[in-house]
Amino acid sequence: MFRLPAGTYFQSYRQAHRFWPTRFMTFRMIVLLVVLFAVVPFTFSNYALSIANRIGYTILAAMGVQLLIGFTGQLTLGHAAFVAVGAYTSAIFTLTAADYASSSPFWGFLTDTGMAYPLSILLACLLAGLWSVLFGLPSARIKGFGIILTTMAAQFITVDFVIAQYVSQIGGRGHYFSIPPGTLKIGRWVLTGDRDAYFLMLILVTGVTAAMINWKRTRLGRAWIAIRDNDIAAEILGVDIVRYKQLAYFAAGMLAGLAGSFWITSLFFVSPEHFVWSNSLWWVGVILIGGVGAIDGTIFGSIFLELMLVLVNSFSVANILFLYFKDIAFGLAVIIFLLYEPNGLSYRWWQIKNYFYLWPFSYK
Amino acid sequence: MQTRKSLWMMFASLISLLAMLLSACGGTATPEGPAPAAPVEAIRLGSINDTTGPTSDVGKDYALGIREAIAYVNDNGGVNGKPIELFQYDYGYRVPEAITTYKRFRDQDKVVAVLGWGTGDTSALAPTVTQDKMPYVSASYSAELTDPAKTPYNLFFSTDYSTNARAAITAWYEEVWLKDARFESRRSAGDKPRFVAFYSFPTPYSSAPIKAIKEQAELLGFEIGPDQDVSLTALDTKSQVLAASEFGPDLVWHGNTTMSVAAALKDSAALELGADHIVNNWGYDENLPRLAGDAAEGVIGIVPSALFGEEAAPGEPGVTMADVMEYAQKYNPNVPPEKRLVRTVQAWGDVLLLWEAMKRADAAGDLSGEGIRKAFETLENYDLGLGAPPVTFTPTDHRPGSAVNLYIIRGGGFELLTRVDLKERWPDLWPTWLGY
Amino acid sequence: MELFLQLLVSGILVGSIYALVALGWTLIYKSSSVLNLAMGELTLVGAYVCLTLYNWGIPFPVAVLGSLVMGAILGLLVERLVLRPLIGEPVLTVIMVTVGLSFLLRGLVGLIWGTDTVVFNPAVFPAESIRIGPVIITPVYLGGFVASLILLAFFVWFFQGTRWGLAMQATADDQMAALSLGVSARLVYAIAWAIAFMAAGVGGIFLGSINGLNISVGHLGLLVLPAVVLGGLNSVPGAIAGGLIIGVLQNLTGGYLDRFIPGGIKDIFPLAFMAVFLIFKPYGLWGWVKIERV
Repeated sequence: MFRLPAGTYFQSYRQAHRFWPTRFMTFRMIVLLVVLFAVVPFTFSNYALSIANRIGYTILAAMGVQLLIGFTGQLTLGHAAFVAVGAYTSAIFTLTAADYASSSPFWGFLTDTGMAYPLSILLACLLAGLWSVLFGLPSARIKGFGIILTTMAAQFITVDFVIAQYVSQIGGRGHYFSIPPGTLKIGRWVLTGDRDAYFLMLILVTGVTAAMINWKRTRLGRAWIAIRDNDIAAEILGVDIVRYKQLAYFAAGMLAGLAGSFWITSLFFVSPEHFVWSNSLWWVGVILIGGVGAIDGTIFGSIFLELMLVLVNSFSVANILFLYFKDIAFGLAVIIFLLYEPNGLSYRWWQIKNYFYLWPFSYK
Repeated sequence: MQTRKSLWMMFASLISLLAMLLSACGGTATPEGPAPAAPVEAIRLGSINDTTGPTSDVGKDYALGIREAIAYVNDNGGVNGKPIELFQYDYGYRVPEAITTYKRFRDQDKVVAVLGWGTGDTSALAPTVTQDKMPYVSASYSAELTDPAKTPYNLFFSTDYSTNARAAITAWYEEVWLKDARFESRRSAGDKPRFVAFYSFPTPYSSAPIKAIKEQAELLGFEIGPDQDVSLTALDTKSQVLAASEFGPDLVWHGNTTMSVAAALKDSAALELGADHIVNNWGYDENLPRLAGDAAEGVIGIVPSALFGEEAAPGEPGVTMADVMEYAQKYNPNVPPEKRLVRTVQAWGDVLLLWEAMKRADAAGDLSGEGIRKAFETLENYDLGLGAPPVTFTPTDHRPGSAVNLYIIRGGGFELLTRVDLKERWPDLWPTWLGY
Repeated sequence: MELFLQLLVSGILVGSIYALVALGWTLIYKSSSVLNLAMGELTLVGAYVCLTLYNWGIPFPVAVLGSLVMGAILGLLVERLVLRPLIGEPVLTVIMVTVGLSFLLRGLVGLIWGTDTVVFNPAVFPAESIRIGPVIITPVYLGGFVASLILLAFFVWFFQGTRWGLAMQATADDQMAALSLGVSARLVYAIAWAIAFMAAGVGGIFLGSINGLNISVGHLGLLVLPAVVLGGLNSVPGAIAGGLIIGVLQNLTGGYLDRFIPGGIKDIFPLAFMAVFLIFKPYGLWGWVKIERV
């Protein structure tokens, strides 16, 4: 699928391994990054930036799902639970740091140097990853449909039960609480408002995309893809299935934790209502529409679905007909895409690009 | 060969990119719904409603009520002559969408105040709203929103959930426990009445008043049993009722919306729990006797305004129930009057309150967010009419009132049972109850 | 002891309604290997159609029949338009199509019938409960229990004793072989979906009679999955047994464990139980064990 422009020849291994093999690609990507980092945040309105933040959040969350479903073939329908774990860890850690800043030197140090939030992101990733492995353990014995059930169980047990009952006891805050503005800072950069969140989002999304691309190219990624394609054959070839599956769950959990920690910057509020089952379904829909197994598919799918949501939302309540459009639109989008574009937007995009790359040799 | 082609491609892509950026910079082209053409001086209001989500059984009626009330306001002079332009959107109780809609109201539609809905999203937006100084008149009456030190811009017309809950349990204690003959022997034996709360643990709206109501129960001398978790969409609550029956309660508090409350009532009747019931305001409306049938008999509940179609004195804005019904018929003729609920009247209450505050702010020359908030705080014993108790806001206390109307269902219809004024009864404790 | 009996009986009765819906699910899986996540919404459609017919004045049995017919038509439509093009596609695609279908159906139901709770007016089942010894039973649940037993008997006979039933089983087991023997796979799928809609519709009608009908009745769809997994994905009696067991488990945990682990365990316990159960018995109690040979 990934074709290079006609006339590209590599003369060393190093060249072949580059992220962006041709000069045109490098140019294009640099322009894109410049536009995203420098042009967009200063020309778009706050509202548009908040939409961009939502798209970024969806990308981060869907990347984890993509890893599990697209790379490793584990059907997961409970991802929102792990994002919730990340969000709550990050929020509680940062708030505890702020609360104890005056009494304890350790917390005081963290809060003053602004290290509380970044540290909480790391902690959130770790915790979410471990929690994900806990629910990934059954995958050692179960395949296919059973995994759907165990991940669904993860979703409901975590959000409706563990968070609502037990996490709410930590610090006596209850299971939904807000984060006062000014608490979230990285170093000396205080995160308030959509523009700051946008920059953080860009950094995280770029990082995660790069990580996913690298994972796919290494031994780890190849093992995952082998498990997806034919796990028995992979086992024969010496891939330790159980270990790599658990690693996949851990990695996906980490990405979910990252998404969760980012999420609290856009609202300064956490509540279990933000992480319901339909979110998990939404993210699976995102990767299906974007293209299962393709990293850029996650990005396309997120942009497409979020923009569709914005479009549907813009119809006023006065017009009763459009009230249920959201559900209908999502359902129809998923069905139509699966019927007519089973490989997703990513495939279509690559077809278009390949046409230009191979021109004038557009036939195969 | 490759160099020339790649250079050409670079050039072409740069041109197309510049073209896109230029057109995008012209304006943030986000599609907008059909908004009525309005003269420049129209005052813009945003409204976020749930007409498709889990609370839409009460949300839809409320949304219709808002629309009709705004139409009435515009027909009666608007805000000192300026008409109101309403932007109303559904968010299906999905909090992230509420956030984005709010941001759209603030940045794109540039509204001067927002009419909100659910507790989850209202609490989520509270810090932002405080920072933006945007008056947020919600249908959530959570007591956490009543402390001006934390959330000065969150306002509503009805008494808050905790006050309601306290008043309900007090009303039952006084009207039933102390007066009813069936408790006579237990009273003389010095028994304590037994209390259990049925509510949805993870939902912010249901769990909001629990701390307050338990405090009140202890104050009055109840014995408190284990809480029972009833989800908002529960159909079968038999195991919760059975678990409660082990404790043997005399009184059960229901903190959910109408559908799950009806289920719990029916199961309690079927399993012969033998307890009386008090229901919070979002679980108590004209649908309850329809859904619960005979099980709703004798159930006491909180009603923040008059029921739809009930006679009510006009109050200062001069709006009568006949006006409410007329506008309901005019703007939504496809919904028959028997299907309208008290939620419509509640919507009118919030709109009329905001209208008065905006009129005062405009008369004082400052129709900004801060100006509207100051105008709210000038309201003292303001009578909205339509059966709502008078509202008072002060700079230190945003609880609209301390008097709560309790109704009881008799013979499938509603009767006013009593009115409990908490401030009158416990004047020294009343200030300490602020904020939770 | 009385509490236990009451919980047990209520559990069995509630479980029988789950069993009805689980039955529909198993039928689809048995015939076409489609893992259907839209069962909740199928329940809704059947129930709403029956309710509308009943509230127009049509007597209850005819209304039920009407909703069955509607269900059959819808099943055929869904199968034809959405699932037939997907024969042969990977599992995830088919599952997600059913998810998409569930969103679509939910939106359509909301569009046509709104979100207000509607009740059967006048009530179909008497509201007073029946007392049998120490146990209290509501007539609605009893009706559901009887209905699911009847349907169970019917379907067991259908699958074991009739030609078409055997043909459907054959198609589920090995599509290619069945096709080569002259079984029309298309017809098999169509019948499977039609029956599923009908079974789910009947379940929905009983659910609607309990406490009114509302869009959130569709959330039941989630509880069906533990039931079918418990019984075994391919087994019809397994689905019924699974539904009953899940109902009982829910009630017992709700009644006994709620005091130790406050709140919410009733709803998640079936799923948690499932997750653990699958580790020990990945194919359920009576499911066909898939032996993977290399």
